[in-house]
Amino acid sequence: MSTTIQDCGRWAGTLGLAAFLLAALMSVRAPRLDGWFGGLTRQWKIHHVLGAAAFLLLMAHPLLLSFAAAGYSLRAAADILFPGAGAWSVWAGWAALAAMAAFLAPTFSFFGEPEYQRWKSLHALSGVALILGVAHAAALSRAMPGGYWVGAGALALFAAAGRKVWSRALGRRGYVITRLERIGRGVVELSLKPEGRLLRYAAGQFVYMTPLDPDLAAGRGEEHPYTLSSSPDEAVLRIAIKSLGDATRALQTAALGSRVLVEGPYGGALSGRAAVRGELWVAGGIGLTPFLGRARSLAPGHAVDIHLIYCVQDETRAHFMPELRSISARVPGFVVTPHHFAREGILKAEFLRAACPNFAGRDASMCGPAPLLAAARKVLLRAGIPAARIRQEDFTWL
Amino acid sequence: MALKRFMFAAFVAFVSSVATIGILGRLSPSPVAPPVAAERRVGRDELARHSGARDCWMAIGGQAYDLTSYLPRHPAPPSVMTRWCGRDATEAFATKGRGRPHSPAARVMLAQYRIGLFTP
Repeated sequence: MSTTIQDCGRWAGTLGLAAFLLAALMSVRAPRLDGWFGGLTRQWKIHHVLGAAAFLLLMAHPLLLSFAAAGYSLRAAADILFPGAGAWSVWAGWAALAAMAAFLAPTFSFFGEPEYQRWKSLHALSGVALILGVAHAAALSRAMPGGYWVGAGALALFAAAGRKVWSRALGRRGYVITRLERIGRGVVELSLKPEGRLLRYAAGQFVYMTPLDPDLAAGRGEEHPYTLSSSPDEAVLRIAIKSLGDATRALQTAALGSRVLVEGPYGGALSGRAAVRGELWVAGGIGLTPFLGRARSLAPGHAVDIHLIYCVQDETRAHFMPELRSISARVPGFVVTPHHFAREGILKAEFLRAACPNFAGRDASMCGPAPLLAAARKVLLRAGIPAARIRQEDFTWL
Repeated sequence: MALKRFMFAAFVAFVSSVATIGILGRLSPSPVAPPVAAERRVGRDELARHSGARDCWMAIGGQAYDLTSYLPRHPAPPSVMTRWCGRDATEAFATKGRGRPHSPAARVMLAQYRIGLFTP
């Protein structure tokens, strides 16, 4: 019995560290590479799940080894966990686990929702945890020569530490803001002209944009992800930006002719794959952008089967409604129905059924604020759409 | 959200378990070492008489161990260990035959099988 527990403990350590190294590799951000995993959002979800699995396995690892020794005595079980000061390799393991707990605590909101910059700086501790964990494994590894762990660890560290270097070298290009269209209160759409070659992308993909305008009130030199709202056939990139924080507020008055850096394209959950069945799009507020890009890329006169539910507070916030209506007039089968929270309340099945009687037989895509996504998902699942046929892009991070 | 809650619960359970084991381990009595004068001394000849898989003694670091009951639990193939029965296996324990020492956990377990001093 205790041998089995001991084996489980060893396997937990081996698999846990392997999952940790894979998670580090998956944190790399490189245009097009993310396509292998179905887009950057999905790639990072895999990174997130691998990280969670690694943490669980690596917590089980010392506990199981200690349980296995409990067959001898309680003292032996405790000595496995806390050996003498000379056993540096065991203490390296503990230090790795402590660092892991420290950098994962904000990720899993152990002590409330973290502030982004604090989360980011604490996440850098992952490198320390990785080095200590690999040292622990290399010293105590049984079946696998320690050098393999060191090699795998170095590769993961190299990939993760250089993630910004790769993404910048591979995908960052200069653009100039040539047009700033005021769509509504607190919403602008920037047109970006490439200094060199235009980015090739699929409708609904997103980029990281870094504004360089020296007169910006906030966010100069800071990168943020934005969905491209333009069609890939256009000569410029377009990005619709709603004032949601300091950086996005400052961009509302960005200077024409100022430079920005654009890195991408990255695949979101809603870009790429075409649906086999008819499509149901549920957009909330500025969450319209990936759908706007796809709607603008629809060829006039070419029939589609898409029903867009555009959810906004009231008609004054339905900023893109006129354009959507004109696309609807040009593209047969592209239907837009506005949903006003002020009048209809939260999105309900009755509303969807009245607007689009066969909605339950469609493939659903959603993007918008979290409460809308949660409500819409519930309605769609209840109507019988399987979870595998519901795609969504979250505004919040994982 | 469910994952976050699960991770937090797992983390709390982990810290509590480690603390409990640590405290109980410190509170439990350590195996009482017999007085040195009365301690059993095992010579090379006596050691050599226990050289089979069914009766396996080894000398490691100047101590004598009866590892008969441990043999089936050792993770490596049986021959790796049985070839050292009845002999001084200090070097083998220190290097596992390929320059890699046993873990601190192995040393903790080994202590449980000690039967006396090895006096070659």
